[in-house]
Amino acid sequence: MNAIEIRNLSKSFRGLYAVNHLNMTVPIGAIYGFIGENGSGKSTTEKIICGLIHPDGGSVKLFGREHTDPDVCAKAGVLIEAPGCFPNLSVWNNLMLQAANLSIRNTEKEVVKVLKMVRMEGAASNKYKNCSLGMKQRIGIAMALLGNPTLLILDEPINGLDADGMRIMREVLVDITRNYNCTVVISSHILGELEKIATHYGIVRSGKMMKEMTATELKASCRTYVAVRAKDRNRTKAVLACKFSRTEEDEAGYIRVYDRITPEEIVTHLYENGILVSEIITDRIGLEEYYIDLIKEGR
Amino acid sequence: MEIKFEHNTFRRRLKSMLKVDFRRMFTSRLFYIITGTCLVIPILILVMTTMMDGSVSVNPQTGEETVMEAFDSTWQIIGTISSEDSAAGMDMLSMCNINLLYFAVAALVCIFTAEDFRSGYVKNLFTVRAKKTDYVISKTLVCFIGGAFMMLAFLAGTIIGGVIAGLSFEMTGFGVSQLVMCILSKMLLTAVFVPIYLLMSVIAKQKLWLSILLSMMTGMLLFMMIPMLSPLDAAFMNVILCLCGGALFSIGLGAVSNHILKKTSLV
Repeated sequence: MNAIEIRNLSKSFRGLYAVNHLNMTVPIGAIYGFIGENGSGKSTTEKIICGLIHPDGGSVKLFGREHTDPDVCAKAGVLIEAPGCFPNLSVWNNLMLQAANLSIRNTEKEVVKVLKMVRMEGAASNKYKNCSLGMKQRIGIAMALLGNPTLLILDEPINGLDADGMRIMREVLVDITRNYNCTVVISSHILGELEKIATHYGIVRSGKMMKEMTATELKASCRTYVAVRAKDRNRTKAVLACKFSRTEEDEAGYIRVYDRITPEEIVTHLYENGILVSEIITDRIGLEEYYIDLIKEGR
Repeated sequence: MEIKFEHNTFRRRLKSMLKVDFRRMFTSRLFYIITGTCLVIPILILVMTTMMDGSVSVNPQTGEETVMEAFDSTWQIIGTISSEDSAAGMDMLSMCNINLLYFAVAALVCIFTAEDFRSGYVKNLFTVRAKKTDYVISKTLVCFIGGAFMMLAFLAGTIIGGVIAGLSFEMTGFGVSQLVMCILSKMLLTAVFVPIYLLMSVIAKQKLWLSILLSMMTGMLLFMMIPMLSPLDAAFMNVILCLCGGALFSIGLGAVSNHILKKTSLV
């Protein structure tokens, strides 16, 4: 059984498909990175899973049951776009309201617990409207965490978070998946951050699932490269381009060679052409580059 | 791996929804402002009409003179006796009275519901709440009770206004029990209006202006029948009629609201 099983899901707005016969499988306990360009149908899919949008066709099953099953829905936590809070209420009152909505028994204890988890215990009395963007995101995450959810759906949760906020977020998500067996679906454009925590990925484009894979599969399919730095960058680039078929310069000023080659071969080749190498590294492309490659291939 | 889910009974779901809505209503400034206004309106009407009693206003175009008349009895602001012409609901006395409250109830329902959509709170609500019936039932009940509070505030304002204006509290043509029946009928009539306003709010979602406009328009259609259904000399039959009407409207229009919530996008 999977946490989420979507088959042939479709939703169109004024004749245009936002989600086009999409299939998606999220295993229980996974941190599922849901990736796609703006307007690719990520948020619409998430809203359908949460029951906020009625699909045109297809099926959505959560833990083997229909996604409209009230018992399953009651154990979902969600942060889609912005947290749904009342601006004139305090952070505490907004959380207490959601705790009442979830029929949580020890409401105060639970609210204190989630506030501590997102390091917001000091801001409980602040009015929601007076909170910064980062604080609002943390409140939204706290709200989603109320009631120990078994499924957490987070749409762009790290937007507006500072470095510390992102670290806290990572820790919280890893903690709840490991210790509470919670399944997390997280969509984000900050792929570097996503790569640090995701165990599974789903790449969506124009409402269709392009690829689904585990983090291990991603690692295996990410090509390796040798990056070289030398004093005369332009000459180094020209010399390498003459011999190797796939070379390019990255933002840090390294010349990357993607051909299957050892660092020794590159150093020797450059030495023979009178270039001394100052730095050389072997690495693998990250999720971001893999995703860009995949999107380019699809075009 | 199998995950077990706790069964959420209808009773438990409704209880938590009611808890949320009551908490929201009794902690919102809006409710107290509207209820406060309901307290002040009868005082202002009674005092001002008494002060202006006998004053003559002349229409500058026709030269026609109109003599302002005050209320003869404090209770006239609550309703009119069924035998009086004004019971038809077409004159000033039957308009400028407690029946105005049905429009205040519209404001309460529309703002209360639109706030859920505008703030995005519906996302929190409906993600964990697959059955939209809970929302419709809870909103109807809470707004009905809110309306009843407003009626009581108006009644209190009427008594205060009557005392300040020095008006008579004499009951001519009706007794205390009939006055109680009249107020009870009026309270139960809010159960006819609340589902209408709720339906309009659910259609308009975050567009508050649209929900208020639609509510006022549809409310106006039923406005004329209020004095006839709940006169000052109301009988037990009036209470039963209003109760049945309220129940029918709540169930019928509630089902329509529920269907709309189910079939349309909530965000």
